[in-house]
Amino acid sequence: MTQNLSIQNITAHYGSTKVLENLSLEIAEGELVSLLGASGCGKTTTLRLVAGFLEPTSGTIELGGKDLTRLPAHQRNIGLVFQNYALFPHLSVAENVAFGLKQRGISGDAKTKRVTAMLERVGLDHLATRLPGALSGGQKQRVALARALVIEPPLLMFDEPLSNLDAKLRVDMRVEIRKLQQANGTTSVYVTHDQEEAFSISDRVAIMHAGRVMQLDTPEVLYQRPANAFVARFVGFENLIPMSVTARDGAIVTAQMTGGAKLTLSQDDFGPIPDSFILACRADGLAVTDTAGTDGIPTMLGLRTYLGRAYQYQCETAAGPLIANGPLTRPLETGATAKLVPVPEQCTILAPEPAA
Amino acid sequence: MKRFAGWSLASPATLAVVIFLVLPVVATIITTFLTPAGPLAPYIGFFGSGFRRTVLWRTIQVSLITTVIALFIGFITAYVVSRSPGWLKSILIIAAVFPLLTGVVVRSFAWMIILGKNGILNGMLVGTGIIGEPMTMLYTQGAVIVAMVYLFVPLMVLTLVGVLESIPDDLIQASASLGAKPMATFTQVILPLAVPGLIVGAVLVFTGSFTAYATPQLLGGESQMVMGTLMYQQAMVTFDWVSASTIAAIMVVITIAIVLLMTRMAKRLNPMAV
Amino acid sequence: MTTKLHPALIAFTALVFVFLIGPLIIVVGAALSDTTYLTFPPQGLSLRWFENIFAISAFRRTILTSLQIAFLSTFIALLIGIPAAYALNRYRIQLPGWLSTLFVLPILVPELVLGFSLLKNVAVQFNAPIYLSLVVGHSLLVLPYVVRVISASLASFDFSIEEAAISLGSPPLKTFFTILLPNVRSGVIAAFILSFITSINDVSISIFLTGPGISTLPIQILAHMEQFFDPTVASVSVLLMALTVAVMAIVERTLGLTFLAK
Repeated sequence: MTQNLSIQNITAHYGSTKVLENLSLEIAEGELVSLLGASGCGKTTTLRLVAGFLEPTSGTIELGGKDLTRLPAHQRNIGLVFQNYALFPHLSVAENVAFGLKQRGISGDAKTKRVTAMLERVGLDHLATRLPGALSGGQKQRVALARALVIEPPLLMFDEPLSNLDAKLRVDMRVEIRKLQQANGTTSVYVTHDQEEAFSISDRVAIMHAGRVMQLDTPEVLYQRPANAFVARFVGFENLIPMSVTARDGAIVTAQMTGGAKLTLSQDDFGPIPDSFILACRADGLAVTDTAGTDGIPTMLGLRTYLGRAYQYQCETAAGPLIANGPLTRPLETGATAKLVPVPEQCTILAPEPAA
Repeated sequence: MKRFAGWSLASPATLAVVIFLVLPVVATIITTFLTPAGPLAPYIGFFGSGFRRTVLWRTIQVSLITTVIALFIGFITAYVVSRSPGWLKSILIIAAVFPLLTGVVVRSFAWMIILGKNGILNGMLVGTGIIGEPMTMLYTQGAVIVAMVYLFVPLMVLTLVGVLESIPDDLIQASASLGAKPMATFTQVILPLAVPGLIVGAVLVFTGSFTAYATPQLLGGESQMVMGTLMYQQAMVTFDWVSASTIAAIMVVITIAIVLLMTRMAKRLNPMAV
Repeated sequence: MTTKLHPALIAFTALVFVFLIGPLIIVVGAALSDTTYLTFPPQGLSLRWFENIFAISAFRRTILTSLQIAFLSTFIALLIGIPAAYALNRYRIQLPGWLSTLFVLPILVPELVLGFSLLKNVAVQFNAPIYLSLVVGHSLLVLPYVVRVISASLASFDFSIEEAAISLGSPPLKTFFTILLPNVRSGVIAAFILSFITSINDVSISIFLTGPGISTLPIQILAHMEQFFDPTVASVSVLLMALTVAVMAIVERTLGLTFLAK
């Protein structure tokens, strides 16, 4: 039933504006892939192309080896869950769920049975006769989910399905969506701008920017080993420090940053280090210390804020401002001098950004 | 304090409506029950007259036919307009607004030129040899209905374009994604969601036709008398004000009854309002 | 634009628009005809029927009267309608529900009935001058448009802006003129135009209230048509259409044509 989705070299325009450029994406059978990015990155466009609401300028879209690119939306057999639910307000919950079955000529007992079973699965069998207007946001989203699932589509697509729900419900619903998706093993595309949501629910995540996929990988890899500066910033590496190697001694590399400060880094911690690179560190990846004689980036501390688990400092360095965290046990005053020491587990090495 | 501010701002308009609309109209209706011949005599007189019953029935008939035709034409047109690309949509809407802002007299007059004995339509039909002699088209029920439809289609189109545009695109896409063919989406999603708008449009057209004066006067004349023209004749030609008041009362009651009935129906059928 | 329109639907709609605009083009053509009878397409082009309008004193007079009545009644309706619309929106909770229904009544009550009732129970009863009766009748006719249109634009007005102005020291009346009115400007313009056009074109009320010596243009057109069926009426109609075009141009200039779509 479930099938793989293959998007090849898609370019798309809105009028004369190019919104997707040569985008390719392979999604395996039964896999849930999120498209993650800020608004305007092309994630929703990608979904609408696959759904058939837009036509690409060039490229192909295949589902289970069958070319969908020019097929009308109503012949594609893709389950869609919309951001604002898109429930038919004039039809009851059961009629909404039955809508797709009716279009497929399924009626009578077969229809009733499937609708009832589906409503039971999403826990709404007691609301079958209600109109959508009488439901809460979470219930509406469940109906939308049931309506998309009941037609047993080979592909399910979600367009920011949880963004109209409150925080607590969002977490519950995403667990529920993941459970249902895994139970059915349906190939799924999930569009969201919420990083936590994407990482928690997906097998793999495609981080998108300006109509391109910047990196497609498992959440773990994206979080720990971003492939480029854009993804690094996106997943929370606040500090990106350009450096160049001045000396190598076995695994130990000495590198210098703008302003002259030097760091020694071990290739055992970071993997191979090229001559020119970017050291990407989360705030936790730069430890603030005032212990004399430590090897680190000299800094003057600026504003201190309390994070609960640590103090965060705005730091002035010769290489520009950096953000670093220090221990709660030793609060340091604004204006004090200190050193910033990289913590390898919270840092990663990136290739230098190509000159813009 | 706030209550006082609200009342004082609203009072000039309120007084104007009460003094110059509510009281005079109520007075008109009340006088029909206070005739020397007995409280219901004017109504017995009205419904006892074959001629007047015919006029009432003709008015209802003309209004109903006009409403049905305007609904049909208006809905299809509004559907196409609402799905047109932006620039074309603006042009079409202007093309619908223009006749609406042009007066009833001008618009009815246009049809007199078209439908007259020596009018354009007869000229074309005789010229092309479809008919030998010019037909009598003016002063028939057909002429009144055509001109009334002409009068009310723009109103219907504009009302329904608003309604159709308020149906979210998402619903139509959801319908397609669930496998509904365009025709199924139209009949199962768009049409049911447009029902409240259709009812509003029907009320506007029916009450407008039912109480029309200029159009039936110009295109129907004496031979196609309707409630409006009959009332004018009674009031200003024969000066039988009791009879005119009776007709006025019947018009008010029927208009209000239709409006109340239909708005109640629209409310019940409006799923968005739940 | 996810569903393509069926060609038959497009053809049907094209015919509907021919049906809507065609008759008005015919009127323009008839007005330009050189003949003494109404005909289309025009035979020989001439503006003599436009000159004829102004040669007939009844037309000259009624055009003036219609313009005066339209301006006066629109002005009165705005004067009493704007505060009423404001009160209905601002003090919705404090005012009874039937009050807003009251302002819909002039639409519910057939215009003919209103016209006749004003004649019978006000004009004749109190021996009111014709001109005054017309102004009263037309003001009532257009009042609901004013209240509805202004209410619609007030519905999206955030009254806390007004409170902000008052808290900054602006007196209430000044706040009304400097804060509120500029924000409902488009509503006021729309209300003005709708009212003006409605008044200029009115037949059903005026037919009862006009009298010897004082008439409005549409009533004069009806009277003229009873005696002559010549192109004069067509050229007066063209004048009225020109007025409509002018009004739409004003709307376009001030509010943009998309406003008409609402």
